[in-house]
Amino acid sequence: MNNTDDIRWVMQVALFDDKRAFDKLTCKYQSPIRRFFLNLTVGDGPLSDDLAQETFIKAYLNITAFKGLSGFSTWLYRIAYNVYYDSVRAQKHYEDIDEHVIDNQHHTLNDFSAEKMDIYKALKMLRKEEQTAVLLFYMEDKTHKEIASIMNCPLGTAKTYILKGKERLTVYLTKAGYGN
Amino acid sequence: MTDKLLKDFFSENKHEIVDNGFTRRVMLRLPDHADRGWIVWIFAAIGMAISLYLGITTGFIDQILIILKHVPIYYILGGVFCFPLVGTAGFYLTQNKNYRVI
Repeated sequence: MNNTDDIRWVMQVALFDDKRAFDKLTCKYQSPIRRFFLNLTVGDGPLSDDLAQETFIKAYLNITAFKGLSGFSTWLYRIAYNVYYDSVRAQKHYEDIDEHVIDNQHHTLNDFSAEKMDIYKALKMLRKEEQTAVLLFYMEDKTHKEIASIMNCPLGTAKTYILKGKERLTVYLTKAGYGN
Repeated sequence: MTDKLLKDFFSENKHEIVDNGFTRRVMLRLPDHADRGWIVWIFAAIGMAISLYLGITTGFIDQILIILKHVPIYYILGGVFCFPLVGTAGFYLTQNKNYRVI
């Protein structure tokens, strides 16, 4: 499945309101989008699923706004980014999550592991923008240009977020014994 | 070194998330869009109008009619009856990519 399939499915949704085509798009992108939210929310599974659902519903409602200038994936991540920051601004769930809350969240995850705890701890060291940029770059394999488009910021700013995030993470991971 | 360290770290933590009914839940929450099927009919009507205009002004339709007058009726009927078969086969092949003729 490639970008041509994405464009075809988007056209079917936009022109004929073809829900089967949207089902295929959701099926294809549910894993990366949910993983993106799961990392941004430092492991809050139910919240990340809620945000992911909101992302797909917004994508469906605004599918005609997709012009095909960037890939569908980049467009979807941009919606996800906006959904996440709307949620942050609403401050429903993100007022300095303390260790106790994180412990409870991880306790509810079936696939809890020490490595996951490490990645969430590492991500917590970063500012929100740095988290987003680093995750998109290293986890979701997006280019600098795509990240700038997703975060709606100049290319230089996106590069700075990645660089600063990289520096902080390197210090943290080296102290934690990675790379030895 | 730094890049490799981070790439290794993130790739170790990169896991596919199983659907577990997520897609179904999204589909159940989708609102109904307004029916936009009329767009197809508008484009079809415009296409037909352009074809007719060009056919008449260039004399293409007249030529087709003259040719058809000299074609035996069985050929025309054969062509007409083959059309649904070819159309169905084409539709099946494009919709079901796993289909194999042999």
